[in-house]
Amino acid sequence: MTGMRGLSVFISDIRNCQNKEAERLRVDKELGNIRTCFKNEKVLTPYKKKKYVWKMLYIHMLGYDVDFGHMEAVSLISAPKYPEKLVGYIVTSCLLNENHDFLRLAINTVRNDIIGRNEAFQCLALTLVGNIGGRDFSESLAPDVQKLLISSSCRPLVRKKAALCLLRLFRKNPDAINADGWADRMAQLLDERDLGVLTSSTSLLVSLVSNNHEAYSSCLPKCVKILERLARNQDVPQEYTYYGIPSPWLQVKAMRALQYFPTIEDPSTRKSLFEVLQRILMGTDVVKNVNKNNASHAVLFEALSLVMHLDAEKEMLSQCVALLGKFISVREPNIRYLGLENMTRMLMVTDVQDSIKKHQSQIITSLKDPDISIRRRALDLLYGMCDVSNAKDIVEELLQYLSTAEFSMREELSLKAAILAEKFAPDLSWYVDVILQLIDKAGDFVSDDIWFRVVQFVTNNEDLQPYAASKAREYLDKTVIHETMVKVSAYILGEYGHLLARQPGCSASELFNILHEKLPRVSTPTIPILLSTYAKLLMHTQPPDPELQKKIWAVFKKYESCIDVEIQQRAVEYFELSKKGADFMDVLAEMPKFPERQSSLIKKAEEVEDTTDQSAIKVRAQQQPSNALVLADPQPVSGAPPPLKVPSVSGSTDPESMARSLPQPNGTPSPDVLSDLLGPLAIEASPGDVSTEQHGPIGAEGVPEEVGGSAIVPVEEQTNTVEVIGNIAERFHALCLKDSGVLYEDPYIQIGIKAEWRGHQGRLVLFLGNKNTSPLTSVQTLILPPAHLRLELSPVPDTIPPRAQVQSPLEVMNIRPSRDVAVLDFSYMFGTKLVSAKLRIPATLNKFLQPIQLTSEEFFPQWRSLSGPPLKLQEVVRGVRPLALPKMATLFNSFRVTICPGLDPNPNNLVASTTFYSESTGAIICLARIETDPADRTQLRLTVGSGDSTLTFELKEFIKEQLITIPMGSRALVPVPAPVPPVAQPPSPAALADDPGALLAGLL
Amino acid sequence: MPVAASAIYFLNLRGDVLINRTYRDDVGGNMVDAFRTHIMQTKELGNCPVRQIGGCSFVYMRISNVYIVIVVSSNANVACGFKFVVEAVALFKSYFGGAFDEDAIRNNFVLIYELLDEIMDFGYPQNLSPEILKLYITQEGVRSPFSSKPKDKPVPNATLQVTGAVGWRREGLSYKKNEVFLDIVESVNLLMSSKGNVLRCDVTGKVLMKCFLSGMPDLKLGLNDKIGLEKESEMKSRPAKSGKTIELDDVTFHQCVNLTRFNSEKTVSFVPPDGEFELMKYRITEGVNLPFRVLPTIKELGRTRMEVNVKVKSVFGAKMFALGVVVKIPVPKQTAKTNFQVTTGRAKYNPSIDCLVWKIRKFPGQTESTLSAEIELISTMGEKKSWTRPPIQMEFQVPMFTASGLRVRFLKVWEKSGYNTVEWVRYITKAGSYEIRC
Repeated sequence: MTGMRGLSVFISDIRNCQNKEAERLRVDKELGNIRTCFKNEKVLTPYKKKKYVWKMLYIHMLGYDVDFGHMEAVSLISAPKYPEKLVGYIVTSCLLNENHDFLRLAINTVRNDIIGRNEAFQCLALTLVGNIGGRDFSESLAPDVQKLLISSSCRPLVRKKAALCLLRLFRKNPDAINADGWADRMAQLLDERDLGVLTSSTSLLVSLVSNNHEAYSSCLPKCVKILERLARNQDVPQEYTYYGIPSPWLQVKAMRALQYFPTIEDPSTRKSLFEVLQRILMGTDVVKNVNKNNASHAVLFEALSLVMHLDAEKEMLSQCVALLGKFISVREPNIRYLGLENMTRMLMVTDVQDSIKKHQSQIITSLKDPDISIRRRALDLLYGMCDVSNAKDIVEELLQYLSTAEFSMREELSLKAAILAEKFAPDLSWYVDVILQLIDKAGDFVSDDIWFRVVQFVTNNEDLQPYAASKAREYLDKTVIHETMVKVSAYILGEYGHLLARQPGCSASELFNILHEKLPRVSTPTIPILLSTYAKLLMHTQPPDPELQKKIWAVFKKYESCIDVEIQQRAVEYFELSKKGADFMDVLAEMPKFPERQSSLIKKAEEVEDTTDQSAIKVRAQQQPSNALVLADPQPVSGAPPPLKVPSVSGSTDPESMARSLPQPNGTPSPDVLSDLLGPLAIEASPGDVSTEQHGPIGAEGVPEEVGGSAIVPVEEQTNTVEVIGNIAERFHALCLKDSGVLYEDPYIQIGIKAEWRGHQGRLVLFLGNKNTSPLTSVQTLILPPAHLRLELSPVPDTIPPRAQVQSPLEVMNIRPSRDVAVLDFSYMFGTKLVSAKLRIPATLNKFLQPIQLTSEEFFPQWRSLSGPPLKLQEVVRGVRPLALPKMATLFNSFRVTICPGLDPNPNNLVASTTFYSESTGAIICLARIETDPADRTQLRLTVGSGDSTLTFELKEFIKEQLITIPMGSRALVPVPAPVPPVAQPPSPAALADDPGALLAGLL
Repeated sequence: MPVAASAIYFLNLRGDVLINRTYRDDVGGNMVDAFRTHIMQTKELGNCPVRQIGGCSFVYMRISNVYIVIVVSSNANVACGFKFVVEAVALFKSYFGGAFDEDAIRNNFVLIYELLDEIMDFGYPQNLSPEILKLYITQEGVRSPFSSKPKDKPVPNATLQVTGAVGWRREGLSYKKNEVFLDIVESVNLLMSSKGNVLRCDVTGKVLMKCFLSGMPDLKLGLNDKIGLEKESEMKSRPAKSGKTIELDDVTFHQCVNLTRFNSEKTVSFVPPDGEFELMKYRITEGVNLPFRVLPTIKELGRTRMEVNVKVKSVFGAKMFALGVVVKIPVPKQTAKTNFQVTTGRAKYNPSIDCLVWKIRKFPGQTESTLSAEIELISTMGEKKSWTRPPIQMEFQVPMFTASGLRVRFLKVWEKSGYNTVEWVRYITKAGSYEIRC
């Protein structure tokens, strides 16, 4: 560049510009000049061309648009002399990117330089390709670059660049490197002595291995060997030693590559790797020098994640934890942050929780760190490490911290505290204490979910009710309390205030007085809750207290003309109801227990956390929750409610209370019933309004009917946030009888199925089709196989690209006869919305049947040889869907039980035969006889026989299912005997049939 | 009256503070840094004259190579602020003798501080009239050797004068030769479509006056404007003369004009201040005589060639001529080579403004002149967005021509002593924003 006067004058002109405007004028002038020169007919001398191209680069670097002259820059690449070539390569790689068409012109020249003999040119070309090489380059240059990389005649300088260049080409086009051929060479490359080449090659390896680790398994021991060499500091030249650490970059890369291999089988390799890791763990300490610290910690943290990845011995893991514990107590914030972060990651590994717990006090101290990012990490870690044993301490610590934490963290903090309290509560009263305290301290940050959850627990646990009520009463004594607290206390006292009646200061009128004091200060959504509470207080006052009644009526009167329709409706209804006496008692009776379901809090937290990768929530999900809360509830926390929920509630109470509790069981599938119930519209309108409408005293008062109606909790399927197209159950039923069709469809995805059956084996293909223009992410499929089937589902890609279809074969093998059905637990994300569905796989009993036509000579001896139970079973089936005989015959044929015509002399009877295949039984002939009654088509006698008693029973049940009126969901209803009251009839079967959760439970 | 400024800063183009004065303490002293970093060093400089940063409003204006920035934190009257700046600059100019730039400021620090103290008080503008201020801020500015010579002035009683009936004129002035110079300066704003249709056209005019008159003269000015003529004919009860009458819009007068008399008699009568002042301003939107017609044809021949043909016709009287005519014809940014043929004047390509600049020193009336150019463009990598074709701009000055047709009918001077006066009248028309789409 020396001696280019024009360029230096231009640069000094620019530097002398007083302001931006002058600079712009100068640049525009120069650009005009360059344009004129490039356009001139006269051929530019190489010197001039070089000068102008340098100027262009300088202008480009100043931030101005340079959208011409690329041709000149590219043409300089093919210049014979080094200075011109240099300019050409540099400017091309700065001004162009891989998508420019101009680059195509250069490919040939670049290739010539690469395969040429001039090292300087080779380096220039490799650098260019390594920076802006695209697919085209990848296709035409990859073999040459590979050759260069493995050639022994090249200097390390060139090979280093070649490795990085190849990395770029591989990234642009993974087909550029053929794994089969390249794996051996890659392994050879790792034997390289020169650390520079080795470092670049390891970068390449990391990328290759991340794509396909199996092919490169031969590289694994080599990586370990490299690590050994570096750890022992053997043969490491001075220039690759950074602050006494032998090539930290190579160490990190080698360890990164190792993490892509699932495990290390070879014991000697494993042993030597652990030695190296041990050495790194032992040898790292915090020192004064920042650069040395950075380098050694980079190595250390990589080693830590490798240790975690390898599931090393417990001893080593606890050593890691101890090391991290040391970091947490260091003053330097960066190290402390890394320590906390890695400890959170450590939680994923089993067996180290105990050793992490030792550092609890130190972590709690970090919660008070001046640096917010460290505080967040500490909070995450505390949240992750919490379990039954330390929940009390941690939650109390969090509560204490809540009052000093800054606002941006409070919401997260309160949510986490609430979740921990819920999950790990040693006893329920403690849980109530914690949440009330939480509301008291950080009311603004406590979402509705949190207090809904408390109410839910209190309602479901009778022992807790008096305690909760007295606690709520205590909080009301405070002069200033948060509105959420008013809501909780009002609700709890309304429900359970009467349990306190004996205690001083807790009579109904006193409760009313203290609650009514709060009324003027609360917002509109709270007033309805207060009104309900008043009504309940009034109802619980036995004998009636005329004075209290007068006061409460006055309140109702006042709100009868309220502008808010919810408040108005309640005031009017309660006022009328309270005049009714007995009805009043019924309507306002205690709320029924809430159905158990997954805590909406945890769901919410999962949504919040989804973005952060080392979310402690995932750890949470793996841990067992405390038993305290579970014991108090009849159902397990996780999983869907059992199908017998309906009878268990309705069976234990008298018909009237059952009518009241009706909306509850109907609402079972909805995860948010609680919020629905407690939302202003419906805090307890469900029981209230049902009765109201039955007794009908209010319609005359002019309350709009539909408002009352809307207060009933909607009975809707809500596990999926999307609307399912078509009826899943019907689709399944159809697929039971045919081999291909649609299994599931919603606005985003369609799942089709195609099946082939051969004997006891089957092959299904799931077609997952994305119907949208945006990709579906986090696609997950999980097969829940029943005991009698062996299922193998090939992995489904995590993301389904827009408008694409993904196929996923599913191998099925039948082991023994059973009617149970496999379930596909399927979920995906659309945008931020998580959709999940549980779908039954149509691998039913009949799929393993093979039709067979028997003559009378074959049939009857066999029929007779099956003498009776358990090999031959007979049952009279009632409630059959009325079908004409030919249709019934078609139905049987459709599930591969062949009707053999003419065998039975009675024309009203059908005789059928089929062969059943399974692994344990082999092929078994099954015979069946159906005797129908022409007078009453709803009943028939079914006789089934086969050589295997289980098969006989299962087949009989299967045929029965197919014949009964409502084939789907009927099984869930089977245990429900007739005394279901008529009101309960319409919603239950349909609702249950539509609810995959219930179905699943029923089927499993 | 609303606040106009909390502080005022004078910055050079690099953003260094030359001089500043804080009137109210509601803005911090470092706010000017915000101006420097957020306005001056961004591309938005000059886009919007009022910007708000950090609760403060910055009202700024560039005069030659100086930025004058007013910083206000309250809800200020921005128009008042701008007016203040304009008047202050006029004041400084009259003190420094014509020039106002960075050097003039550096040479007159003390004087400027003194003036800044005087012309604004606690953010409220005060008297900015040079005639009056010069009475008591007597410190002479450093004059450049080329400006006119200082005059000897007595030091009269300033207070008396400011509070008197004729605040703008001292008594006891006397000149050997009593002279009045009257200039009518008009600037034409035009936007014309490529087909020659006038899309927008107006003229803003000023009547400038320079008086060297003794005593307390009473002047009366008659123009050929519509209202004045009608009133006159009404008063004299004779029909209005035929001939062109001009309808003036938005007339504003100097404070010396007697508005009561204007309202009743529609005549402009006044006792003039001594020296130079702007007597009135007006605007005209109808009946404008355009001095030039421009007929452009621009052809894009493919992606790399263009042909430009511009014909300019002067449509004022054949005896008159325009001076300093400049036609700026915009061309695309990727212009590489240009080839001109012009009948008169000289043309060249200026890459820093992306224009062909065609200069004609003297352009006689009723003639026409053409430029034809061939332009070669360089091919670019950028996306193929079409060129936006900005309008052609024109600059010119036509002496003794008014685009509005306004003429001075009479200028009468009465003084007790009854001396004779010499009146000089000049007309000039300039281009304002004179744009022709192409």
